[in-house]
Amino acid sequence: MPSAIEVHGLSKHFGPVRAVDDLTFEVPEGRVTGFLGPNGSGKTTTLRMLLGLVSASGGTATFGGKRYVDLKDPIRHVGAVLEATSFHPSRRAEDHLKSVAIGAGIPLSRVAEALDLVGLSEVARRRVGKFSLGMRQRLQLATALLGDPEILILDEPANGLDPQGIQWLRTFIRYRASLGHAVLVSSHLLSEMEETVDDVVIVSDGKLVLQTTLAELASRAGTSTGMRIRTPEPARLTAALDAVPVAWRQVGDHTLVIDGATPEWFGPFAAQHRIVLYELVHERGSLEDVFLALTHGFDAADPANMGNGPAGAAPMPGGPT
Amino acid sequence: MIAIIRSEWLKLRTTAVPWVLAGIALLINALLILVIFLSHDNGNGPNGGGAFVSPGYTVPHTTQQLRNLVGSGFQGYILALLLGVLCITTEFRHKTVTTSFLVTPHRPRFVAGKLIFAAIAGAVLAVIMLVATVIGGGLTLAARGGSFSDMIHQLPAVAPGMILVFALFAILGVGIGSVLTNQVAALVVCLGWFIILEGILVQLVHSAEKWVPTGAATAASNLTRGRGSDFGLFNWWQGTLLMLAYGLVFAVVGSIILTRRDIT
Repeated sequence: MPSAIEVHGLSKHFGPVRAVDDLTFEVPEGRVTGFLGPNGSGKTTTLRMLLGLVSASGGTATFGGKRYVDLKDPIRHVGAVLEATSFHPSRRAEDHLKSVAIGAGIPLSRVAEALDLVGLSEVARRRVGKFSLGMRQRLQLATALLGDPEILILDEPANGLDPQGIQWLRTFIRYRASLGHAVLVSSHLLSEMEETVDDVVIVSDGKLVLQTTLAELASRAGTSTGMRIRTPEPARLTAALDAVPVAWRQVGDHTLVIDGATPEWFGPFAAQHRIVLYELVHERGSLEDVFLALTHGFDAADPANMGNGPAGAAPMPGGPT
Repeated sequence: MIAIIRSEWLKLRTTAVPWVLAGIALLINALLILVIFLSHDNGNGPNGGGAFVSPGYTVPHTTQQLRNLVGSGFQGYILALLLGVLCITTEFRHKTVTTSFLVTPHRPRFVAGKLIFAAIAGAVLAVIMLVATVIGGGLTLAARGGSFSDMIHQLPAVAPGMILVFALFAILGVGIGSVLTNQVAALVVCLGWFIILEGILVQLVHSAEKWVPTGAATAASNLTRGRGSDFGLFNWWQGTLLMLAYGLVFAVVGSIILTRRDIT
């Protein structure tokens, strides 16, 4: 599968702090790549280096072999939604998009289309200063979509969106990938992304931890840990279980956990003993557990972890948030 | 580049900046026209003769008086400077520069677009002030028994120089703004220099007068008046080049700084 984005040996040093350290990964076409890591792990800095907003201390980031700054009319190829991007408060949403469209040689008819795509048509003539955080996020997305780019880079796009907005965003991201477009989307929460992404690039402390498919990551997490059962007749169930070689423990008045059991084994077993069941849950290790284990559960934004941070107690000078 | 300029115009006109600046410009212009007429009425003009002068002498009628009237908006060049400063620093103040750099990642190109746009916008501001002067000043002049057509005849001598100077100041504004992207700092430095420091410098070192921006711009304003080195100034094209050099030196330094700057 051809790569839409190639990152090779990318580094960014802020003084002695290595915010991004020799990062190498690829983003394939037609797939959604989750760019995951705890807060402060260098995700935002990496994405801004891809887009030429932050200069790299070393390494390259290219789109089909070209750096972002060397692309002709880059926003027609790469659409970006970044944190901390802002709008002029007295400019109307429509005028903001028009100014971008004109500057990039995009037909003005795309302005209404982009507003429609993100559901902002109703407020097209409203000044952006009156927009909520979620509306600004949508307007950013509309800006990214103006040029109908084949690559989308989204930095924590779910921030500020309500649950419907997040659901809409997921559907939208999947749709872009189904068109054969490449999507790189960052998040500090794997759980937020696991329904959306095909591949994951996991970073921690500015270094690559793992690039793999979500399926492979899930298989690491998917080793069965057992069944959780709720039943009105726990005494009969435990008696039956004692007759077979399985380990079990009672975790509540009517709830038991059977280690290593599968639904395929337990279903027929319960039927055979004519035991009434209220609930039957196949418990697996969660993806989030795997993610946390991979990133050492380190969260630079958590004050409790500051002492372990790369810059000691001080936040990175001029670094990302 | 035309796309960038059109985009800049849309960006500028969708903020309050051009309308406030144009409003201030016209207000100042009207006051200055008023002052010209009042001062003549007070008999303080070159032909002043007390309160009971005949009407023909109370209104501008000599070539120089008419030129002063037509060019009464000339002091508005400071607004053209502010226009240039605001047109670039607003991007940083409201962080819209992130989007601008995504659209135009080559930063010297971004600055160049601003320079060309600001030069045009500065020239347009001069034209607006000239039109307002011709209408406002001309009507007042005619009402006071002066000659409207005599005034119009002075337009070719005044207008090109004024338009040129406004464009040059707008370019200088963009240059300064590209170095000092902090809007407040840029405005303070500009106003501080042109209202206070430059005057003090010229008082202390007379020979500096033709080298400072205002001296260079005054020389440039003589474009169509055929006067060159009067008052110890450069001739018009030397003044123009010097002003342009000030603006471009700042813009080049600004482009280098911006190219190295991380937008976080």
